[in-house]
Amino acid sequence: MSTSSLPRLQHVCASGLVAAVGVWVAWISYTQQPSEAFLFPRLISTVFVVLALWTFFKALLGWTKVGHGLGTHEMANLLPGLVIALVYVFWAAKALGFYTAGAIAFFILLSLYDPAPHREVRTWVRRAIITAIYLAVMYGLFAKLLKVYTPREILF
Amino acid sequence: MSIGYERRDIDLEFLYYFGDVFSPVSFGLLLLGTIGGLLLGATPGLSPTMAVALLIPFTFHLQPVQGLILLGAAYTSTVAGGAVSAILLKIPGAPANIATTLDGHTMAKQGKGARALQLSFLASAVGGVIGVLLLIFLTPVLSQWALAFGPSHLFWLAILGVTVIGSLDSASVVKGLLSGCIGLWLATIGFDDIMGAQRFIFHPALGGGINIIAALIGLFAIPQVLTMFAKGRTSSAAEVIEVEKHSIKDAIRELVRRPRALTIGTVTGSFIGLIPGVGGQIAGLVAYDQTKKFSPEREKFGKGHSEGVIAAEAANNAMVGPSLVPLLTLSIPGSPTAAVLLGGLLIHGIFPGTDLFDNHPDVAWTFINSMLIGQVLMCIFGLYVAGLAARIAQVPQSVMAAVVLGLAVFGSYSVQSSMGDVYVMVTLGVIMYFLERFGFSAAPLVLGLILGPIAEANFIQGSMIAGATDGLGAYFLTGTLNIVLIAVVIASILYSVWMELRTRRYISKEEIMG
Amino acid sequence: MKNLLTAATLALTTLAGGAALAEDYPERPVMMMVSYGAGGATDFQARIVTMTAGNEDALGMPVAIINKPGAGGRVGWNWFATQADADGYTLAAYNVPHFIAQSIKGGVEYSTDSFEPIANWGADPAVFVVAADSPMNSMDDVVTFAKDNPGKLTFSGAGLFVGHHIAALQLEKAAGVKMAYIPTKGGGAAAMKAVIAGDVMGGVNNLSDAFRAQEAGNVKILGVFDLERNDFLPDVPTLKEQGYDIDNASVNFRGIMVPKGTPPEVIETLAATVPEMFNNDRVAKKMAAGGSPMHIMDREEVQAMWAAREETLKALLAGL
Repeated sequence: MSTSSLPRLQHVCASGLVAAVGVWVAWISYTQQPSEAFLFPRLISTVFVVLALWTFFKALLGWTKVGHGLGTHEMANLLPGLVIALVYVFWAAKALGFYTAGAIAFFILLSLYDPAPHREVRTWVRRAIITAIYLAVMYGLFAKLLKVYTPREILF
Repeated sequence: MSIGYERRDIDLEFLYYFGDVFSPVSFGLLLLGTIGGLLLGATPGLSPTMAVALLIPFTFHLQPVQGLILLGAAYTSTVAGGAVSAILLKIPGAPANIATTLDGHTMAKQGKGARALQLSFLASAVGGVIGVLLLIFLTPVLSQWALAFGPSHLFWLAILGVTVIGSLDSASVVKGLLSGCIGLWLATIGFDDIMGAQRFIFHPALGGGINIIAALIGLFAIPQVLTMFAKGRTSSAAEVIEVEKHSIKDAIRELVRRPRALTIGTVTGSFIGLIPGVGGQIAGLVAYDQTKKFSPEREKFGKGHSEGVIAAEAANNAMVGPSLVPLLTLSIPGSPTAAVLLGGLLIHGIFPGTDLFDNHPDVAWTFINSMLIGQVLMCIFGLYVAGLAARIAQVPQSVMAAVVLGLAVFGSYSVQSSMGDVYVMVTLGVIMYFLERFGFSAAPLVLGLILGPIAEANFIQGSMIAGATDGLGAYFLTGTLNIVLIAVVIASILYSVWMELRTRRYISKEEIMG
Repeated sequence: MKNLLTAATLALTTLAGGAALAEDYPERPVMMMVSYGAGGATDFQARIVTMTAGNEDALGMPVAIINKPGAGGRVGWNWFATQADADGYTLAAYNVPHFIAQSIKGGVEYSTDSFEPIANWGADPAVFVVAADSPMNSMDDVVTFAKDNPGKLTFSGAGLFVGHHIAALQLEKAAGVKMAYIPTKGGGAAAMKAVIAGDVMGGVNNLSDAFRAQEAGNVKILGVFDLERNDFLPDVPTLKEQGYDIDNASVNFRGIMVPKGTPPEVIETLAATVPEMFNNDRVAKKMAAGGSPMHIMDREEVQAMWAAREETLKALLAGL
């Protein structure tokens, strides 16, 4: 059980963060006006804080039973994908247009996580074809069938 | 209490209009509505309400009866269609399908996606047909029941939903409750509905509050995408699952062997679905929770147990028929989808209520019959789709992760053409991924998000009425229905506590450290 | 120097873009925001009056309805005032007196100056309803009860600072009584449910919805909050006829507007075509079938109506 110390520290940090959010929510609820509108938030935030502190102390004492915490290896795998996903959503989707950004993000993510060897031309052709199919299906479904007007900058 | 709607004593009148459903145009529309509804329902971001609203313009060009057949069939099948994305992608199409993800998606990951889909469509059809039959035969009784729920009762009902939170899909009751609290808090973000005060609006995107459909997509789909990322460049071989062959006959046999889940699902769905404003959203979750509590194999729930899928889907389709009772008899739409259907009726100059059954019995009964036939057609097509769709388990996860991310972005945008919803969706999803790593779970959080506004609005409304009449205590704590609901709430809490204490002894050392 | 050049280029392209925009407008489908939920009266009517938008003699492009419900319309209008593009492709439905009353009350980011009206399509007066089995049969019965039991007569409406609430305030003022107004979440339908189910003793509701509920035998309509009787309810007297000094300030006017800053050419095009679009036989038939009274007004008339309403409401809400 040599690894148990890492999740324990992580659990302390995570539940501490949640508890901090709870305290902050409670503080806002009890200080903001009009008080009638914050009656319900006060009720919720009180319970929130009690439960969050309970969880926090359980974590401090090392009694946390569920949750595996974060592993270094997993986080290293996750990071590039997460960054691309965030750039896609918070910047590219609006700046480049939904379909252009969607196709680029799809292609990059696919290439990042596809286990096929990067050196073979065939792999890249396959990835390009999958991306094209994806783009066609999304365009057909959302633009043509459902007529959703998405932000368009480059191309369509 | 008089209800204007009086039922004639012939209850078999609906049989008289059965022929109308089978005229070529009507049947064609029924097929179109069913297949279209399944597809729309399976699209993330498209709730049944939106799907029906999208179809309203088409009914402008149709006869009233035909228009209603299209809408009725679409309503029926979008609810069931939501199970497809819930099971295969873990994206619940609407709040009604949340409970389906709990066991359905786990089954799909175990290579039993086809079986989960087959069971969900079969259970949907059974629940749905019984629900519509209730609508046909018990309307007068049911409309009284629907009206019996005033603000105080709806408040207690929402609290009952909150007590379910702790026992739902979380190994730890405290963390389940804490997740629920986070959801309840998230629900208060935005303008408060009665006073119009701004609460917790830190970013303009939050001005409209958190859209429930966008939140559903984010909380369920994004953690799943990130989990796939975290596995790195693994070939799908690491997880290759034999997609089991599933004959429909076996699925029917399995359904028959689970009468408890089917019964609890159908009964809970029908009666909770009836209550205006609350029912449709929580019917599936309450039915799931009840089935779990009554099952001797309680510990199997959440790990790919077929009873979970059966109960949830039977409940959410059983709700369809009864949810229309207040609309058809009293002209009060009890759910957002019913409100859209009301619009569809009014456009053709048909007023639900006495007028509908007295002066347009052909319209009323053909509509109801079309939902009955629609359930059967939905089941047939659904079973066909199940066979094909289950192959999705063989899609490599690199492709899967990118597809789900794309669907989540497009789906949440299309809810109300708002970029803000997409930001909220992704932010909630990323936070949820990290919370899940520490034992919090999405289902109770979402339940809090749904129940928060219901509990709050009814509490405030009730306390205003109480303030003008007999006082808070008398209003919320007296009366048969209040007392019954409070008793159920207490029983539910005690049960959770007892179960928590009992299971604690069985948790092995490995699980504790894991 | 470089900055200046950039600025000049930017100005030029914007100008050219603006001109081109107005000429071809509209060249793609137009979006219209409704700040109430799908299936509500405003949504339902908005879908009907825009159903012919795609015709050549109307806009020539379809109008897609987007719902942004919440907080009595504040969510949608806030979004419209602060985030909507002022390019003519984003329209919104307005509800007067709702948005004006909310802007007077404060806490929102819009006022009549944030929007440019295009045209009005409907006017739905508020009415007072009681359940079919209620002992009250006229507004005098209601007021007598309220006088004998101050603050104890509960009656529902669709929220605070919406037409129903204005009507309630006017009634309390004109009759000199104190009553308990209960705002419901979920619009007029929820308020009507509360009346029929007996959760409250009476309610203010939309004429169109109340008309249907009366037809179904669920409620009695005791008075209309308007200057004259309505064609749908020729037998129901106005509040004024029953001796209460109440005007049409609570009548729910619905129409189309655009955000401030929309190119004037676009506003002109819209102001010229939209009233024509409303004035269509098919639209009139569908609206009548749904029990929704139509009232078409052009841009100038709406501007005058907004200004007049703002004055009345300021006086009425001053004491709150």
